[in-house]
Amino acid sequence: MKMHETDQDAQADHEARDPAPRQRFFRNRGAPLLPEAGAAGAPLTAVIAVMSFLAVLAMASLLMVNRAASEWTSALRSEITVQIKGADEAEIAAGVSAALRVLEDTEGVIEATQRGREETAALLEPWLGEGNAQAFLNIPAIIEVKAAPELRSNLDLLRNRLAAAAPGATLDDHARWHNRLSSAARSGQAMAFGVFLLVMGAACAISIFAARAGLAANHEIVSVLHLVGATDDFIATEVQRRFFILGLRGALIGLAAALLALGLVGVAMRTGVAADSFLPAFSLGGFMILWLAAAPVATCLVTALTARLTVLKTLSRQY
Amino acid sequence: MDAGKEIVRFEEVGLAYEDAPETLSNVTMTLGEGEFRFLTGPSGAGKTSLLKMIYLAHKPTRGNFFLFGENAAEAPREALPALRRRIGVVFQEFRLLDHLTAFENVALPMKVAGVNQNQYREDVSELLNWVGLGHRMGAKPATLSGGEKQRVALARALVSKPDLILADEPTGNVDPAMGERIMKLFVELNKLGAAVIVATHDLHLVQSLGKPVLRIADGKVSRSAGAGGAA
Repeated sequence: MKMHETDQDAQADHEARDPAPRQRFFRNRGAPLLPEAGAAGAPLTAVIAVMSFLAVLAMASLLMVNRAASEWTSALRSEITVQIKGADEAEIAAGVSAALRVLEDTEGVIEATQRGREETAALLEPWLGEGNAQAFLNIPAIIEVKAAPELRSNLDLLRNRLAAAAPGATLDDHARWHNRLSSAARSGQAMAFGVFLLVMGAACAISIFAARAGLAANHEIVSVLHLVGATDDFIATEVQRRFFILGLRGALIGLAAALLALGLVGVAMRTGVAADSFLPAFSLGGFMILWLAAAPVATCLVTALTARLTVLKTLSRQY
Repeated sequence: MDAGKEIVRFEEVGLAYEDAPETLSNVTMTLGEGEFRFLTGPSGAGKTSLLKMIYLAHKPTRGNFFLFGENAAEAPREALPALRRRIGVVFQEFRLLDHLTAFENVALPMKVAGVNQNQYREDVSELLNWVGLGHRMGAKPATLSGGEKQRVALARALVSKPDLILADEPTGNVDPAMGERIMKLFVELNKLGAAVIVATHDLHLVQSLGKPVLRIADGKVSRSAGAGGAA
């Protein structure tokens, strides 16, 4: 098809003097078929960063509640308390001796420790005032028992033996507290998961609007792509790739911000104002970071896939 | 004229934009394999609309339209890309993608068809060299003149070696010498088997090539034999 020798000569001469065009061609060979979003992509990146930030916080809440519930319930599950009441100190002491003998003979009792009278009285001081409990009350004795799981599963025998040996003894397996804490933990988990789902839903909605706006803005390009034989799937893949890149950028920013915020919370809980919190200490271990990283990855994937489906649906209405 | 398989067949086709009166009415024509047609007529007569129907940008509002033997008016959406890939179009307004280089614009049909770059790089370079733009492969359309854009658009239309070439005023933005070269190229491609339709106002060009002419006036298409010598 060489019909223009002089032009070719001129071009060869031009390239010999200026090799830049060939270099530019090789450098640009992977250029995306849809234009770079540039400044227009910044708002979407920012919104996805916020979504990602919230998703990480929701995931962190879920993990924290999970861990707290696990720690609370495992402590309650491994311990039972024997309380011995009596008309006077002597009766209580006799009851304690009898109860300790029963506990020593019971299979599954790992450790039984009697709390001192002063220690027990100290528990009542917030309500009765310093020194008043011992002065005016006949304070029951408390024995804390660490129990093996098989013993916990059937406490009726121990309860009966304690009642027979020490009539003033009652056994508390903390079941009421355990159930309440478990219920509270489940509510907390459900709430955190609900927030996570809401964030994902918001990411979907934003992605739908952005994809539609992008198609409208790039209508001419999409039209040319169609006319040179592009399938809807090809165009949707290009859009998906664009949204994935924007989403990934936003997700990483959101993840970094959230990790920073959570790191500060962790430091505050260990050392500062929140050190006395009843929540367990929060630390960003490798496993925890992996779980948290799943949140922005999910945001990113949801954004890209939603954009793809939106484009496919929109294009399907065209000729 | 060459006899072969039908590339385009219109039967009583009408085209209307939304609720407006028909732009094209009762179009009945065929274009066989290896045939060449000029498409002439006054501005606004419907030349571009007819081409748009053929390159599947607009759907006829009535009648039957067959493209490469398939009923394109009734074809499912998924079947259209394969038909479009067999057509090379030189748009009147070029329709180059501004964010892509000349090379990438020309390579576009190959890229969307999933062809590996190693396979089409040489063809694209050769075409750009042939149209005298070998030194502007990395240039964006914004930096190209009207004539250069026209040549990039031409190269893009031809790169996939289409069975049907449609050109809408392909010589409108180039100097007479380049216009003549382009028309000779169409004739050469036509001799190699591609069917060609060239919409033009340039009656001198039409007469000089002596190819059959389709004339559009008042939304109706009529056929007249070309004048002048054969190409």
